[in-house]
This record gives sequence, structure tokens and C-alpha cells, in this order.
Amino acid sequence: MAGMIEVSPTGLFLENLLFTLAVAGYLAATAGYLIFLFGKKSLGPSASRLLHLDFSLHSAFLVTRTVNVRRVPFVGHFEFGNMFIWACVFVYLWTERRQKDKYYAVGAFVTSLVVLYIVYLTLVPKIFTRVTISRAHTLLPPVLQSNWLKVHVSASVLGYAGFTLAFAVALMWLLKARLREKSAFARALPAFAVLEEYMYRASVFGFLFQTVMIITGAIWADTSWGRFWGWDPKEMWSLITWFVFAVYLHARFTRGWSGFRTVALVVAGWFAMLFTWVGVAWLLSGIHSFG
Amino acid sequence: MQRHGKEDTLRRILRFLSSMQLGIILLLLFAAISVFASLQEQKRAMDNIYRSFWFVGIMAFAALNLLLCSLRRVKPLARLALRPQKVQTIEAIKKMPFYRAVKLPPADLGDGGIAGAAAALQTLGYQVSVIEGPAGKNIFGEKGRSGYFGSLLTHFGLLVILLGAMVGSLTGFEHAGGGIAGDSFQVPEGNFTVRIDSVCMVQEPDPTVRPRVYSDLVITRDGWQIAAGTVAINEPLRFQGNTIYHKTFRYVSEIVIKNPATGEEIRKQVSEQDLLYVDGAGSYIHFLKFFPNFTMTEQGMPYSKNWLPENPVLAGILYNSAGQGERPVFLQLNKPEVISTAAGEIELTLTSFQHAAVFSVTRNLGRPLLLTGAAVLVLGLYLCFAVSPCRIYAARAKDKDVIHLGGSSYRGRLVLEDDLARIAAIITKQEVGA
Ligand code: HEM
Repeated sequence: MAGMIEVSPTGLFLENLLFTLAVAGYLAATAGYLIFLFGKKSLGPSASRLLHLDFSLHSAFLVTRTVNVRRVPFVGHFEFGNMFIWACVFVYLWTERRQKDKYYAVGAFVTSLVVLYIVYLTLVPKIFTRVTISRAHTLLPPVLQSNWLKVHVSASVLGYAGFTLAFAVALMWLLKARLREKSAFARALPAFAVLEEYMYRASVFGFLFQTVMIITGAIWADTSWGRFWGWDPKEMWSLITWFVFAVYLHARFTRGWSGFRTVALVVAGWFAMLFTWVGVAWLLSGIHSFG
Repeated sequence: MQRHGKEDTLRRILRFLSSMQLGIILLLLFAAISVFASLQEQKRAMDNIYRSFWFVGIMAFAALNLLLCSLRRVKPLARLALRPQKVQTIEAIKKMPFYRAVKLPPADLGDGGIAGAAAALQTLGYQVSVIEGPAGKNIFGEKGRSGYFGSLLTHFGLLVILLGAMVGSLTGFEHAGGGIAGDSFQVPEGNFTVRIDSVCMVQEPDPTVRPRVYSDLVITRDGWQIAAGTVAINEPLRFQGNTIYHKTFRYVSEIVIKNPATGEEIRKQVSEQDLLYVDGAGSYIHFLKFFPNFTMTEQGMPYSKNWLPENPVLAGILYNSAGQGERPVFLQLNKPEVISTAAGEIELTLTSFQHAAVFSVTRNLGRPLLLTGAAVLVLGLYLCFAVSPCRIYAARAKDKDVIHLGGSSYRGRLVLEDDLARIAAIITKQEVGA
């Protein structure tokens, strides 16, 4: 096939091994955080240590992949998905540290979302023939050989990671609201005010990087396709996501919205983000459909 | 009375036009229409929505809303940011959103408490003024003043981007052109001519990857050179607001048509998708594809092994004058191919091939505005979210051993709470940090 890279058997073995280990590790860490959430409070630090370990494994996988493809692993659904998952864990672990390990409960939701993303990358293509997520080692076509690619993709994975964290916290809010204070489980979740602040900060983080992603994407499109903006579905859906989060930030900051209405906006924003990543690729066509 | 009523209505309309509610409604509307448009099956249907007057109208309306809202906020924001009331009574301090009373250690009675608070504020990066108020010395500390202007800058950046897009679409054009080395083409919209001096193909290290094509161009207007440079993928040539992009490349083949009976020869240049009439009787070849390194699959499907010109073949289909396909034709370099048509036998030879570059020439005079707007937008967002404007006041009632600390913040609740705790700790000489 055109543009394939020959990878040494050792390189390939190492890459597959590290990927499998990282996936297994994320599953284990998710289990750890969930057990913590369901009452075994002593398990928080262990789950966190496990997640740190997986994060190193996953980083090692990305390094191996970089060596194998001889470029940044930023292209196609599989590589982008891995970068994105890595960024989610990175951003979460960073907040865990900044919050001085107070909110391990958030970890249970973030890691569950990470597992969801992994399922999308690994199992979904096996079930739906329409979805093909290739793990092939491909060379970069000239149009993608640009430094803008690096800035654009780095910004987008960080943006998506911020939104994922915000969505995880939104889910906690919804669950807590649904279960009311009677249940011990709901009481174990952080207070509403804490959750809303957390959700706000994660959204702001995502919003900043989503902005950089849209701007660098437009500048790159201008240098390679001759236009800043082509109204193609991928572009439109990133803009939609951006607008939904803009509405959320305005509503919260200027109209003093809080509670369910803001949570609903974050949930809508996450779905828009997910559609930009997954839906556009399989349901809508466009220049960006390479991933 | 009548006049008043009118002014009131006008003011109400203005207030609505500059309101955040309208902004939120417009943003949601914009998002909803975009969702609908992006789900259209056909690109045409989608573009029709984005180009429709009502969609553009909504954008213009949003821009107006944003402009009015920003203008209305400039003065109050400037007053808030630049003219803080520096002296506050103890009563007022007590009513601030954040308040702490700190008991001074005995050694700091006298003026020491106030001086200590000033020093503590300075340590935390506050700009401190010590003011002699009616009830003794007051301290005013402030930091992160630029943060007040974040949202204003963000909106201003957005407006500049919208303005840039408008300028671009009103003054811009898009023109397609191209050719082989030696060709020229006119760009009437820009009143200049593009001369292609050379078109050079450079293979990638892996020849299965599409190669890069570099074209040397000279741009002239009224016979004078106004720009020159090399254009390749991701490397456009820019001059005077115009940009020339490499869009794609083609193979242009030279074919000799020879009538074996008369020995008469004609030379023709063809590229993919061209029709070539080969005899006087209306037979023609529809050229479909040029294969630089021709081969066939086991099922007989032609393909190119890679982009290296090792076995160039131009492939097409011969049609008779009635438009019926007769047979495939594969022309190999310098290997004459004899075909028979209604008019008799004809010998075709692919004698050479060249690369033609296809360019898109655009003008976008809005580019500087777009880039400036984007930079301002990012700076604005940074000021909004990374800088937290905080103000802290300190005052001490005469003969009391308590210092009152009060503060207000603009979006920086956590920062302020933290700072107040640290200042209190410094004043009372506790260990800070951990
Ligand atoms: C369409 C009309 C819009 C109106 C009328 C509007 C109005 C406002 C107002 C009144 C504020 C509060 C400013 C302050 O108190 O400092 C604000 C904040 C802000 N606006 Fe807008 N805005 C609009 C569109 C946008 C858009 C499209 C964006 C970018 C996506 C944006 C980004 C921001 C940001 C980042 C803030 C600060 C929010 C925060 O602190 O949480 N605005 N806007």
C-alpha cells in the first residue's frame, strides 16, 4: 500500500505490548477509582498510583509509536485517539495534584470516560464495519508535513481533554442531584459548589485550547488550501462546540447561571465535541475525514 | 410626553440590541443552524445555507450586538479598572465580599501592623498605596489590573475577525490557472499575469508517497515584474494581498499521430481527461490516466507501482465516431502503437511528458485583520482566564489591636481567598506555605 513504513518486528512487538499493557492498566485504574467511589476510601491513593503508572506506560507506547512512524504520532483516528486519551489522563492527574488529592472521585468518572474512548478505538471497529480505525504505520503526505500540524493537534487534544474533564464532573453533578443527599454515595461526591467550580475551570482550559486549535487550523488551511474557512463539517462542528462552551461561560459569568442549566450546557458541549471527533468522520464527509 | 415615549422605546431597543440575552440567543441560533447545515447530504445544499442572506444576517446581527455591548461596557469598565476608590472605611471593609480581622501581635502595635500588611501585600505581588485617611492610615493593594479588559479584548478580537472576513469576501477573488514550464496565464481580477518558469517534481524518500512539485513563478503587470518566487504545497507565494497556492499537478503528454500511409505527422499535447481526435472520421481517444510506473494487477487492473517515472504509460479508450468505446489504448514512452479506425490505420507515439502545475490564485485583503483579530482574541482570553484582578484593603481603628482586611475580586475568588489567608499569616508571623 502507498505510503507505508516498514517497522522492525521488535518495534512492532514493543508497540503492541505497550498498548495492551496501557489498556489493561487503564481498566485496572478505573476499577480502582470505582471501588474507591463505592466506599473503599483507602483505595484512592492506590488507584492514583496505578493511574500514574499507566500514564507512564501509555507515554512509553506513544514514544515507541513515534519511533516506529518516524514522526509525531498525530495522524489518523488511532494516533489522535491515543494522544487525546493521554491528554485526558495528563490533565486529570495534574488537577489531582493541584487539588492535593482531595477529589479522587473525579478520577472514577474521568477514567471511565477514558475506557469509553478506548472501547471506541478498539472494539467499535470490530462491531461496525463502517468504522475502520487503522493502526497502520503510514508516512505523512506532503500536505500534512507542516509545523502547524503539531500546534493544531496539540491544542486540540488538550482542548478535548479539558472538555472531557468538564463532562466527567457534569456527570457527577447530575448523579449527585439525582440521588439526593439521602444516599451515602451522593454524599461521597464533592459538594455542588466544588463540582461547579471544577467544571468551570476544566471548561475554561478546554475553551482556551479549542480557540487555539480553531485559529491554528484556519491559518494552516490558509497556507495549504488557500482559504481560512471552508465551512466543512469538521470546521463547523468545532465551531459549534466552541459556541456551546462560550454560551456556558457567558451564562455562568454574566447572567449568574448555576446548577442544572450550566451542567446541561457542558453536557451538550461534550456531545458536540464527540460528534466533531467521531460523528463527522463516519457520518459526514469532508476534507477532514482522514481523522 | 410623546417625545419621551419615543426616546424610551429607542433606548429599550438599544438595550435589547446590546444585551447578553440576545447574544446568547444568537449564538445558540447560529449553532443550531450550523448543526442543521452540516447534516446536509450535499455540499451545495450546505453552502447555500451558509451563503444565504439570513445566515449572513444573523452573523451581522451578532456582530452588531457584540459591538454595541462592548461599546456600552467600555466606560464603566474603565472606571472600574482605572479609578478604584482607594480609601475605605472600616465599616465598608467589613462588608466586602471577603473579609478577615487579624489580631496584631503586641510588637506590631503602633504603625507596625499597617507597615506589615503593606509588606505582605507587596510580597504577594500587589501594587500597594498607603493613604492617610480620615481615620488613620489605609492600605490599598491591587493586582491583575489587565484582567478587567480581557472580555473587552476578546470581543474586540472577534469583531476584527468578522471585519476581516467581510473585507476578504468583498474585495477577494479566486481564480484557477496553471500550466507547464513556459506557459503564462492571466488573472484579470488582479490585473496581472503569472508566468511559469519551471515545474520541478521532487520525489519523497518513499516513492509511494505523492511527490512534491515546485514551480518557479514570475508575476508581471503591464510588462513589469511585481513578484517572483517558488510555490509548492504548504508554501504559497504572497504579494500585495494576493496568494498563489499549489493546488495539484498533472502530467501533460506529447503525442505524435502518424498516418503510416502518407507519413504525415501531427504533434499534440494531452492531459488526463482530454479527448484526442485521431482521424478525420471522428474517432477519438478519451485519455483517462497517466501512470508514471505502470503495471497491472493479476485481475488486469492497471495501476502505478509508485511515482517514479520508470515505466510511463498514458491510458485511454478509443471511441468510434458514434461514441461507442472500441478498445483500451496504452501508450508507452517511445513505443509506437498502431490502431485501426474507420479511416484506416494510425500510429500513435507517446514521445515525452512533462509536469503541469495547477494553482489557485486568491486575493484576501482581510488577512492582516484576521491574523490581528486572532492574536487579540487569544490575548483577551488569556487575560480573562489567567489573570484574576484582586483588590485588598487594610485599615486599623486607632488604639485597637485588630487590622481589618477586606477584598474584592473580579473572577478570582479562589486567588483572593488564598491571598487573604497568606497575608493574615504573614502579619501574625505564622509560617506560610504548606
Ligand atoms: C454575540 C454576542 C456576545 C455578547 C453580547 C457578549 C457579551 C459579553 C459580556 C457582557 C461579557 C461579560 C464581560 C465582563 O463582565 O467582563 C462577556 C464575557 C465574555 N465573552 Fe462575550 N459576548 C458575545 C459573544 C462572545 C463570543 C462569540 C465569545 C467567544 C467565543 C465571547 C467570549 C467571551 C469571554 C471569554 C468572556 C469572559 C467570560 C468569563 O469571564 O467567564 N463572547 N461577553
